[in-house]
Amino acid sequence: MRSSVVVLVLGLALAIGTPVTWALTRPDATAGTTVEQAIDAPSPSAAPSPTGTVPPAAPAPGLPPVTTRDAAPTVASPVPAPVRLSLPAQGVTAPLDAVGVSPDGQMELPEDVDRVGWYRFGPVPGDEGSAVLAGHVDDREQGLGALAPLRTTEVGDVVVVTGATGAETRWQVVSRELITKQVLPLDSIFDREGPPRLVLITCGGPFIPELRSYRDNVVVVAEPLP
Amino acid sequence: MNKTRPIALTAGAAGAFALLFGATPALADSHTNATLSVLHAVPELPVDVYANGERLIDDFQPGTLTDPLSLPAGAYDLALFPADAADGSGEPLLSAMGVELPAGADATVAAHLTEAGEPALTPFVNDTSEVAAGEGRLTVRHVAAAPAVDVRAGGEVVIDGLTNPNEESLTVPAGTVSADVVLAGTDTVAIGPADLSLTEGATTIVYAWGSGDAGYELATQTVQAGASAPTGVPGGSAGLAADEGMPAPLVGLTLAGLAGAAFAGRKYATSRV
Repeated sequence: MRSSVVVLVLGLALAIGTPVTWALTRPDATAGTTVEQAIDAPSPSAAPSPTGTVPPAAPAPGLPPVTTRDAAPTVASPVPAPVRLSLPAQGVTAPLDAVGVSPDGQMELPEDVDRVGWYRFGPVPGDEGSAVLAGHVDDREQGLGALAPLRTTEVGDVVVVTGATGAETRWQVVSRELITKQVLPLDSIFDREGPPRLVLITCGGPFIPELRSYRDNVVVVAEPLP
Repeated sequence: MNKTRPIALTAGAAGAFALLFGATPALADSHTNATLSVLHAVPELPVDVYANGERLIDDFQPGTLTDPLSLPAGAYDLALFPADAADGSGEPLLSAMGVELPAGADATVAAHLTEAGEPALTPFVNDTSEVAAGEGRLTVRHVAAAPAVDVRAGGEVVIDGLTNPNEESLTVPAGTVSADVVLAGTDTVAIGPADLSLTEGATTIVYAWGSGDAGYELATQTVQAGASAPTGVPGGSAGLAADEGMPAPLVGLTLAGLAGAAFAGRKYATSRV
């Protein structure tokens, strides 16, 4: 009789303890502040610049000084694209490709899962606003992508982006969040104004086989390191 | 493609013209200033520009454009004098009285020639409304002493039958295109071809200006429009990195625990009976 009590207690401990321990020890879906807070918060170093190009309203009397320029068409020289991303703590290094928008309106990503896309219509990393780097987490033929370890980044991890000239910008992770794709705060993530931010995105969360797609995006926000 | 007909101000001495810019709804009320740019597109005629009797632009050269001026909303009297005029008194070359700049409006006033070659001042409202991610807006304004024209981009007609002093806009994928201006319905190139940078999230305004005598040219102006974010970020198709439920061995362990507990509990209950 005593033995059956012991087995009962042990069995219950096992039945309850196993899932609880599993749930407690699995990696957190989020780290740090939320993505939106991390993007909108001013950096300690950089004061946020006012949005828009309208200077403060001048009092009515007196006209502002006027500058003029030649209006002949000029071809804008392409912005020097960043060339490499690395996350030393995760052992990630990946070449960057300048990417735009797919026909379906989503951000374009490099086909090669070992490469990461830099959204070329947004800022260059280090300029004002949110520079977005994104890559496939995996592919049926190619296997896991360069950004697969993104979901294990922790607050304080260092991110290094190498620019076109070889100059590096260094960043520190302040937020990691798993966000359902339908509610991804796109306007914050792709904000072209405000303090410089680096946003790294890939897919994550459960896989939905019928859609051949993941439910969520893993979004990591990093602030410039001085 | 939309077509806007601005009010043309034909040349004239001190005529009293009241112009009403349509306020851009998205921007109205957002602040108390208006944005004004001035383009000089009258060939071979340097001028001074006066606003409300005060000199705004000194020695304004043909083919040049002011940077956007932020002015308090209100009515402005604009007058153009020869660049060597001492001050803003006497008979102006061109004038527009009571040009109304509503708060939030973004406008360009062009000094140019009419189709017949007469100097004119025409205000245009710049479209600053949002464009889709990856796209830019192209606005073409005909301010040259020339008949109707077609505008071709990459060899294809994108705007046809545009007449002075009208404009037409379309949205295009951002990037560089080779564009030229031809006499409407013909292959007779009047201007170009020229490479145009169409900035994403902005309105690129192209002015066709000049005259048969002085030659025809293009002038460009870029106005920030509302940029849009992409609609999403894809990112994987294989499920290799998926967050799975509890791994099978742990599920097994849990079930074993449950089974053991149930068995023992039953045995315990039976033994008590």
